[in-house]
Amino acid sequence: MKTIAVLGIIALIVLFFIAQYNRLIRLNISVDEAWAQIEVQLKRRADLIPNLVETVKGYAKHEQSTFDAVVTARAKATSASSVADVAAADGMLTQALRGLLAVAEAYPDLKASANFLSLQDELATTENKVAFSRQFYNDNVRSLNTAVKTVPTNFFAGFAKVTEREFYEVEDPQDRNAPKVNF
Amino acid sequence: MNFRSQQAANKRKTVGLLVGMVVLVWLVVYAALTYFGTTTVGIVPIAVGIALVTVWGSYYGADKLVITMTGAKLIQESDNPKLFNLIQEVTIASGLPMPKVAIVIDNAPNAFATGRNPEHALIAFTTGILDAMDRDQLQGVIAHEMAHVANRDTLVSAVAATTAGAIAILSDILTRMMWFGGGRDRSRNNNGNPIALIFSLLILILAPLAAVLLKSAISRKRESLADATAVAFTRNPAGLRSALEVLASDSTVVRQKSTAVAHIWIESPLDGKSVSKLFSTHPPIAERIAVLKAMESLN
Repeated sequence: MKTIAVLGIIALIVLFFIAQYNRLIRLNISVDEAWAQIEVQLKRRADLIPNLVETVKGYAKHEQSTFDAVVTARAKATSASSVADVAAADGMLTQALRGLLAVAEAYPDLKASANFLSLQDELATTENKVAFSRQFYNDNVRSLNTAVKTVPTNFFAGFAKVTEREFYEVEDPQDRNAPKVNF
Repeated sequence: MNFRSQQAANKRKTVGLLVGMVVLVWLVVYAALTYFGTTTVGIVPIAVGIALVTVWGSYYGADKLVITMTGAKLIQESDNPKLFNLIQEVTIASGLPMPKVAIVIDNAPNAFATGRNPEHALIAFTTGILDAMDRDQLQGVIAHEMAHVANRDTLVSAVAATTAGAIAILSDILTRMMWFGGGRDRSRNNNGNPIALIFSLLILILAPLAAVLLKSAISRKRESLADATAVAFTRNPAGLRSALEVLASDSTVVRQKSTAVAHIWIESPLDGKSVSKLFSTHPPIAERIAVLKAMESLN
């Protein structure tokens, strides 16, 4: 009778350990998946840019500095790999795109062209998707970091080789008080 | 209250109401035993069985069944790329898989979500809502529907419907027994105390009504929860708030008024005035707008 009780308690403890370990691993995988989603969306945006630049160029040839800013920002964004680098490049590219669309405002013919209108809608949804994938990533990082720091999961973090992850923070001073740009 | 505490509060209240349902089932069984004696125990599994088969059949095939009942037509990405873009945005924000999308040809602006799990989810929109709403409003509506998917509300309402159904069947059988030959059973059990007998009789008569009230209360809590979860997805209470204002100012209602699927729409298709608040499947739209406005003021 006693041995059965002891075995039962041991089994419960083992199950508890497994649950904690699995929870950490699962949270870590969610962060990886959320990160992959950010990369997919950033790639999607990068793929849109050459087409957008070409379209704007057709109407506004003399805005070379704006085009250059977009192209350099895009190149940086596609080569970055660490979370901080990708976030910084993402912020730069967002700003460069805003500049490009501000230029487009000055050319009524361009604004009215069908090609530009459809690109504008594509860009609007892509910007939202980038923003939502960022938000989803940060939510997942928040859950993981909380688990890594709180009892009881924190005891298992070392064993599961799961550590705190970096938040995706876009450094964009314009975000604070800039007027909202509708793409 | 922010969306996180809203979500927590609504989940807590749902659990409380589901516990209320269980207590009600227990009361009915107790009443049956005191009134008719232990011979009636066999009826309980029969009633629960009937309720289970009918409700869970419709739960399992929820996506297909609702399509037939509402006349919704499935569409592909190429049919409405803008709508699909918006839905993809919300799936990214929520981490849910892409649902099936359907259109109901109806001028009344409305939308619903169904499906037994996120992998079998279906969200549908009337042509009226697609015409009436701008990008932010539609995003709010999509987020509300995807919130139902994320919160597994098809499952919650199936559980509520099963218990309410079982209680209805049970008390129906028992009250019939009471009229035809209940006396015989009682004479065998005549040492029962009269207060307990009257109490049991009251339970049997009132239980189906109480079950319907509980079921409606659960549905209302799930609607409030879906509003809060939608804000968790988009972080934009203003979009859903102005969408609800459009729905509130619009007086047309979905033509198909079946009460069987009334609870799944974002705005109740039943005439609000004829349904009293206690039986309503949705919280009053003005109340939902006020809650979302309070969330807006937090930002």
